[in-house]
Formats: sequence, C-alpha cells, structure tokens
Amino acid sequence: MLPPASDPSRGDRPTFDAQSVSLWLAVVFGVFLLIAFILFPGFFPPMSPGMSASEVTKFYVRHSTMIRTSMIIFNLCGIMLLPFFMVIVYQMKRMATPTQVLGYCYLSAAATGATLFAIADLFWLIAAFRPDRDPQLIMLLNDLAWITFTAPVGMIIAQNLCLGLAVLLDSQPRPIFPRWVAYFSFGVALVMAPSVCAAVVQSGPLAWNGLVSFWLRIISYALFLVVMFFVLQSAIKRQRKEQPVSAITPGAVAAAR
Amino acid sequence: MTHAQTDTASADQPVTVGAGREKLDLWICWWVLPVFYTFFGLIFVLLAHVMPPPSPELSVSQILAFFHAHGTTIKVGFALLMGVIGLGSISNGLVAYQMKRMSVRPVFAYGYIATLAVGAIPGCLFCAIFFLVAVFRPDRNPHLIALSYDTALLTFVGSLGCFLANYCVFTLAVLLDKNRVFPRWLGYMGVWQIITELLAAPVFIFKKGPFAWNGAIAFYEGTVIFVVFLTCLILQVRKAIGNQPADELVPD
Amino acid sequence: MLQDVAPSPATARAGRLLGDLNVWIFVLGDLVFFGAYFVIFMVYRHQETAVFLASQRHLSLIAGALNTMVLLTSSRFVALAVQAARRGESERARRLISYGGLFGVAFVAIKAFEWAHEIGHGFTLVRNDFFMFYFMLTGVHLFHVLLGLVILVVANRELRSPERCRSWIVESGAAYWHMVDLLWVVIFALLYLVR
Repeated sequence: MLPPASDPSRGDRPTFDAQSVSLWLAVVFGVFLLIAFILFPGFFPPMSPGMSASEVTKFYVRHSTMIRTSMIIFNLCGIMLLPFFMVIVYQMKRMATPTQVLGYCYLSAAATGATLFAIADLFWLIAAFRPDRDPQLIMLLNDLAWITFTAPVGMIIAQNLCLGLAVLLDSQPRPIFPRWVAYFSFGVALVMAPSVCAAVVQSGPLAWNGLVSFWLRIISYALFLVVMFFVLQSAIKRQRKEQPVSAITPGAVAAAR
Repeated sequence: MTHAQTDTASADQPVTVGAGREKLDLWICWWVLPVFYTFFGLIFVLLAHVMPPPSPELSVSQILAFFHAHGTTIKVGFALLMGVIGLGSISNGLVAYQMKRMSVRPVFAYGYIATLAVGAIPGCLFCAIFFLVAVFRPDRNPHLIALSYDTALLTFVGSLGCFLANYCVFTLAVLLDKNRVFPRWLGYMGVWQIITELLAAPVFIFKKGPFAWNGAIAFYEGTVIFVVFLTCLILQVRKAIGNQPADELVPD
Repeated sequence: MLQDVAPSPATARAGRLLGDLNVWIFVLGDLVFFGAYFVIFMVYRHQETAVFLASQRHLSLIAGALNTMVLLTSSRFVALAVQAARRGESERARRLISYGGLFGVAFVAIKAFEWAHEIGHGFTLVRNDFFMFYFMLTGVHLFHVLLGLVILVVANRELRSPERCRSWIVESGAAYWHMVDLLWVVIFALLYLVR
C-alpha cells in the first residue's frame, strides 16, 4: 500500500508558507542574478578561450569594477536558488513513487552543483582582485573560472534525471507534476550535456563562449527554472486546496507515525 | 492509493503499472552504483592516468611530457567525468536513503549527504578541473602547469576532512543501527576507511616513499582497501534493497 | 592472551564463536592490512639498513618496554574481565575493564611523552625514512588505542545492567583490545628491538 500524497502522517501542512517563501525568494534573487549576468562584462559577449594572456589581463584591468560588482552579486544570489531546489525536493517526496530515494539523490546533486557555481564565481573574483598580477596567473584563474562554470553539468543532468524519473513513477491519478515535466527535464539535461566539451575545445560552438555550451545551455537552464517556478506554483496551490488547514493536528501527525 | 485506481483513463498514466514497479526507483538507483564506478575506473585509470598517479618527483619538463603524451585521453576522460559525475550524487543519495531506514536519528543520513556533496569537489572534481586546465593550453607557463599537476594529485590522493567525517558518520550509523539495514561488519570496514584517510595525510608532506601520493601505503594500499569497501558497500546496498519491504514507510 | 573459555550457561550461544563474527572479520582484516604496512617497512629497512639502525638508537627502549608492559597488563585485566562477565560477576568485570582502560590511558600518556621527547630533540616525521615510519606506525596504532578506549567504555556501560547485557559486545571489545596489544608487540619488535 503506497502512502497517498496527502497522507496526514507525512506532516505536509505546516510547510506551505516555507514553500511560497522559497519560491518567491528564488524570483527575487533570480532577478538580481539576471541583472548580474547581464552586467558581467565577460558574458556579453562571452569571453573567448582563444584570448591571449595579455588580452585577458587587459579585460580584467579595463572592467575591474564592473567584474567585481557583478560577480559579487552573482555569487551572493546564485546560492539563494537552493531553497527553490529544496521546494522541488519536497514536492518530489510527495509523489507516489515506490520510495522516496530520488529526493535524496536530487538533494545531493543540488548541493554539489551550487558549490561549483560558487567556486567559479570566486575564481573570477580572485582573477579581478589584482589586475597587476602576472598575466599568466590571471589567465589561469580565468580558465579555471570558465571551466568550473561551464563544464560540470553532470550535477544538473543528475538532478533532472531524478526529477524526471520521479514524475514518471508518480502513480497517483493526479500526479504532483504533469507528465510533460519529466520529458522537459530530460530534454534540458540533454541540451546542456554537450557543455562538458567546453573544458577541451578552444573555439567553435562547443567552446565555453560558443552557441551550444554558452547560449543554448544558459537559455535552456533559465527556461527550465522559469517553467519549474510555474509548475511549483500550481503544485503548491493544489496542495493547499487538497489539505485543509484544520484536518491535521500535531497529535495526529505523531500518532500516525 | 492502490494500483487499481491508476487504471482510470486519464492522460496522466504512470509509465509502468503493476507489481514490476515495486521499488523500481531503488533498483534504478542501485544500477547507477556499478555504472558510475565503472566510469570512474575507466576515466581515472585508463584515460586520465591518475590511478596509479605519476610521481611527485617529476621535474617540470617531465610533467609537461606527461601531459603532452596523455593530453587527448585526459581531455576525453575528464570531459566525460564532467557529465557523469552526477551519477555519484545519485549513488550517495541511495546510500543515505538506506540510512534513513536505520533506527538511528536521520541526522546521520543528512550528514552522509552533506559530507559527500561537499567532498566530491575538492576530492574528485578538482583533480579533473586542474588536469583539464593543465592540458587546455600547452603553451601555458610550465610552472603553472606544474602547479595544476600538484593541485590535482594532492587533492585527489590526499586526505580530506569531508571523507573522514563521512566514514565516521557511516560507521557510527551502521554500528548503532538496531534495524540492521547494513551488516555490522560493513560498519567496521568504515573504520578501515578512516584509517586509510589518516594514512593519506602525509601525502602533503612527502614527495617520495610509501606516504607520497603514489606511495605504497598512501595510495596503493589505500586504493585496495577502498575498492574492497566499495564492492562490499555496493553488494550490501543491493541486499538492503532486496530486504526492504515494498510498502515500508521510511520516516522523513 | 586469548582465553578460550568454555561458554558459561549464562550465554545462550553455547559452543559458538567467542565474541562476534563481524568483529573477527574486522580484526583479521586489520591484522592483514597492518601486516602489509610491516612488510613495506621491512622492504624500506632492507634498502636503508644503516640509516634505520642509526636512527633506532635514538628511540627510548625504556619507554617502548614500559609501553609493552603497560599494554600487556591492560590486556590481562580485560581478559579477566571477560571471564568475570561470563561468570555473571558484572561488578567485578566492570572494575577490571576500568583498570584495563586506565592502563590504556597510561599507554597514551607514555607515548605522548615519548613523542614530545623525540620531537624536542629534532626527530620529527620528516627527519628520515625511519622516523617517518616510526611516527606513522605508532600514530595509526595510537588511533587504534584511542578507539579501543572508547570501546572499553562501551563495554563497561554494557555491563551496568547484567540482565540486558549483550555479552558479545564485551567479548568483541576484548578481542579488539587484544589485537591492539598484539599489534603493539610487533611494532615494538620491529621498530625498537630488531637489529
């Protein structure tokens, strides 16, 4: 007998507000993230791996202030997306999958992925810290930042695989997320996968400034986040309707456990 | 919520219905374990030549020669790792989930996830990232390439508090667990892992001898013990999944 | 050291392995791995015999011998404790384990003294290969001792309520402690004595 999604023993009710807050936090910080993204001189247009050390150094010297401002914002706001991912984990746990294991896998991947994002930002910031540093060192830091930012898509791929699988295995008559979310997740993962090549090529669409590894990857991921926002919104709304506030008391929760 | 109710003709049919999907997500996740570690072996042993590692005593020009000789396979291997590393997270999530079934507090399971989620980066990905950076520009300053070489291998072989904490959490959880999700001897093996982690600490000190990053004790014996532990872990997770009742309510 | 006492009527598992099979797997595995470390030590010793012999003289034979006596005595107490526990004399067993633990603490203290003395004279981990092995082997052994002290505390607590006492914990703890003792004897022989 699989536990139904609105089983009182799961203690679902008290976390609605936390979910909404997490979602809207993501929106607020997402806006800042977008602004920082646009402001970072290295993204519009994306810096080429083919730039020489002196060109890279000139870039950091010329745009020093803007790089640091935008990267600081990027750094602070990026991790604020974690509560958003936690809402996804929480909804995954409500799905009538055979077990709850996929939520833990998702959590694990999200934590590592967020850390990688932070490290990439730090490399950019360190590169910008002393523009009079040896150009070879600045280029090394720049390379590290770009490779760390672009290449390890494995985390996102794993997250999306877990999410998609959970949605497909959700055996309720009205699943938490609609089925197309699974295929959408798989699709985004597939589209982002070629970005791993950014760590090995210096030009072309697969390079870290290329059509595939940069533009396609970032646009598809941004799209994924926006779509998931609305999917989560409607899932939370449904959850509120299906679980009236008065039905569950802490005592019932404890007893049912 | 029985399977019968899923037969309603709605557009939201589950992918598989019936007894075959008992613990299906668990079994899928279990398969990730041997698949991931096969990739891991393929990448680190055959492609990247990190296992066994080249010597810490190589001169700068020898390091350049190493990267020149293996540049292509390093790129292929570690680019592949960038894509499949997430499978490691799935493996960790599965073990953590089994730990949730134990009688001990769930904090152990979350500790397990946290320590590995953090440790994966300095302990595994740094090696890949720094090797990739080293081979990215052959015309880079040789001393910076040598720096990347050191960073990659020191972080990979050298001990890490994250893994030490991970093994402590795992060992404690298994030994204190009254539900016997994992057999006790697996917990004791965790103690060996703790010891190998301690024995890998001198890697940051010695450039040759048994405690260097290519040393008989710090690397070879440590790797043998790790492979033994990992094999046992994978097999015991399989057993644990098999023993898990399909309708078990795992506490949140 | 390992007393193969016939199981007393108090234990339900008459005729079965002393202690717990899981712990024996651990103990044997630990011995195998330590054995490998010892072999590697001997290989390096063979290659640099002169250096090893010369460095060995800087070790305090007294401290080493003292530690050996301390640990052997500690093991004796723990073995007696197991016997007492099997006879149902929990209070006596607990006292004996405490004595064993005290001697274990003494071992740690002597070792700390010894290390401080050596480091004070400039013989550190990086001095030469001999001292590298010395500090690493005794260090890992020390970790085993500290772990063993924790296990003795657990065994002690187990004996607090004789009805609910899980005898396998006491016996396994004793087996582990004996292993720690055995390892020390080998380390003492290899590092301090072998000329």
